[in-house]
Amino acid sequence: MIFEWEDIKIEVDEDGFMQEPDQWNERVALALASTEGVSELTDEHWKLVNYLREYYQKFGIAPMIRKLCKETGFPLKKVYELFPSGPAKGACKVAGLAKPTGCV
Amino acid sequence: MAVAVKSKKKLSIRDFSKPSEQLAHVDPEDLYPLPPPYDKVEEQPGFKRLSEEAKRKYEATLDDTMVVNIPKPKDKEEEDKLVRQFVSGLEKLFSPENNWTFLQPLTLSMEHCARCQTCIKDCPIYEASGYNDIYRPTYRSEILRRLYFKYVKGGGGWWKKFNNGDIELNWTLVSRLLELSYRCTLCRRCAQSCPIGVDNGQISHDLRKLFSCEMELAAKDLHEKGTIQQLTVGSSTGMNALVVKDNCEFIDEDMEERTGIKVETVWDKEGADVLLIHNAGEFLAWPDNPGAFALILQEMGISWTLSSEIAGYDGVNYGLFYDDVQLARIAMRHYEIAEKLKVKKILMGECGHLTKAMGVVGDRLTQATPRENAMAFLDGVVFSGKLKLDPSRNDFPVTLHDPCNMVRSMGIVEPQRRVLRHIAPKFREMHPHGVRNYCCGGGSGWAIMSQNNFLDWRIQVSGRKKFEQILNAFADEDPGAETPKYVCAPCSNCKGQIRDLFDYYGAKEKSGLYYGGLIELVVNAMVDIKGRFIDWEIM
Repeated sequence: MIFEWEDIKIEVDEDGFMQEPDQWNERVALALASTEGVSELTDEHWKLVNYLREYYQKFGIAPMIRKLCKETGFPLKKVYELFPSGPAKGACKVAGLAKPTGCV
Repeated sequence: MAVAVKSKKKLSIRDFSKPSEQLAHVDPEDLYPLPPPYDKVEEQPGFKRLSEEAKRKYEATLDDTMVVNIPKPKDKEEEDKLVRQFVSGLEKLFSPENNWTFLQPLTLSMEHCARCQTCIKDCPIYEASGYNDIYRPTYRSEILRRLYFKYVKGGGGWWKKFNNGDIELNWTLVSRLLELSYRCTLCRRCAQSCPIGVDNGQISHDLRKLFSCEMELAAKDLHEKGTIQQLTVGSSTGMNALVVKDNCEFIDEDMEERTGIKVETVWDKEGADVLLIHNAGEFLAWPDNPGAFALILQEMGISWTLSSEIAGYDGVNYGLFYDDVQLARIAMRHYEIAEKLKVKKILMGECGHLTKAMGVVGDRLTQATPRENAMAFLDGVVFSGKLKLDPSRNDFPVTLHDPCNMVRSMGIVEPQRRVLRHIAPKFREMHPHGVRNYCCGGGSGWAIMSQNNFLDWRIQVSGRKKFEQILNAFADEDPGAETPKYVCAPCSNCKGQIRDLFDYYGAKEKSGLYYGGLIELVVNAMVDIKGRFIDWEIM
């Protein structure tokens, strides 16, 4: 389905994850954040989002949550403060990753 | 036998073929109240409805949710073609060449059900839905039974037709039946209560199989993202060998930092005694579990290895839930890897369906390397006397969730309890438990499914009983978050569902509810590790 926000128009799945991650840019991140109850992306949000993107580009999937916490220095609680629906459903969505699968 | 249960929302079997916008509906008022502080309907997250777009694109006429996303046929011609395919699949389901695995129990379940309805009170989904007929285990089975008598057995004249009940076969029925085969967790509690062993879980399973093998229609998370991804990339999580090795390096370092013991994961070691195969979800979501296995194997002086081959580091076998051919492909891969590495046995990680698929169902395919389940293994470890354990380190309340595939399907009941009674002084049972347990609500692969609004359904309906049981198990404790409470769930799939249950209701914050596996409690009790291994801060 198509998700529209201001001038942004992107293809997303039923859960709002991007279908074509290549089309991600910083404004798309803002658009996706609006669906997660996050109206503004602070430096801390960006630190998390950028880490996720770099990992995704290298390995093709989302990182393990424990690793994400350790390498960004954010405890899990903080991740939930930044993205209320959590690292997999919230942060990964904003970072333009495909929906994490399996037991993740 | 008299059964006290009556469906509140009555449906006839014939209603199933009659086109309508939506055949059944669950209202929040239908759901029985949970114990406090989760007893106020108005404070609950609510039930997201299916989007109009989803309803336009897919067949969504069964109930409030959708798992398979069945594309709508273009025209009547395509509908008829699909119905013909279904009939062809039905015939194959009852032929020995095509269903040699399960033909006998399936046929017995078709022929001998006395329609006494004894089983229905044992279904947690039927009960939690407020006794909605659509989820009654015998409702689904009766549809297949009528189709079986009409299209497979045939003959018999008007008396047979009258006696077995007629049914109209059309695309409405076929598409609804496909979705309905995914409203049962295959927990088989109903089969256990049937006086003659009719197995409604088997019927749901074989329906899924018919749709997958004959019509290529299956839940995407089980098929494309599940077995297909596992056999091409290496794991249903999408992790290739590079990623899993990188993750294990991280886990090894983390283990050393937290326990003071240097841990080294071993890869592809030919001639090791033990090949350890986890559900790969553990590496990503619950790294303490594989970390604890590495540490215990090492401290026990056992020669062990993981495999980095395709599917070698992922013991998941979703084929068990929907497709015998995929099941066989994956099971054979696991066995071939063990043979190639010349190990003496396979140690199966803490995962119910993995243990059943690799441990018993796969035995129908070949004579495989001996396998040991994690519960029996840990029982052996704890009572070997080789590890110094101090149970008082596990000084928090603990309860045990029984994975259906381990207890009811395999009879692995006592080892995990013997371990907990020994190392967790505040262990208490849920009621009922053991072979009478309730499914976590995420069985048959549901724990990884949340498309559309399915998460709402599997939390509020199929997971209701389990959440209630967990709360009741800790009813004698301080109810607040200050007292952490541990639900031991020795199964990756169950952990996925329990994680979602706790997240959904905010149970960690409200009630101090945490969950994890069995082996983490063993490591936490070890005198030789520094500090605590179970760390509420990172859970």
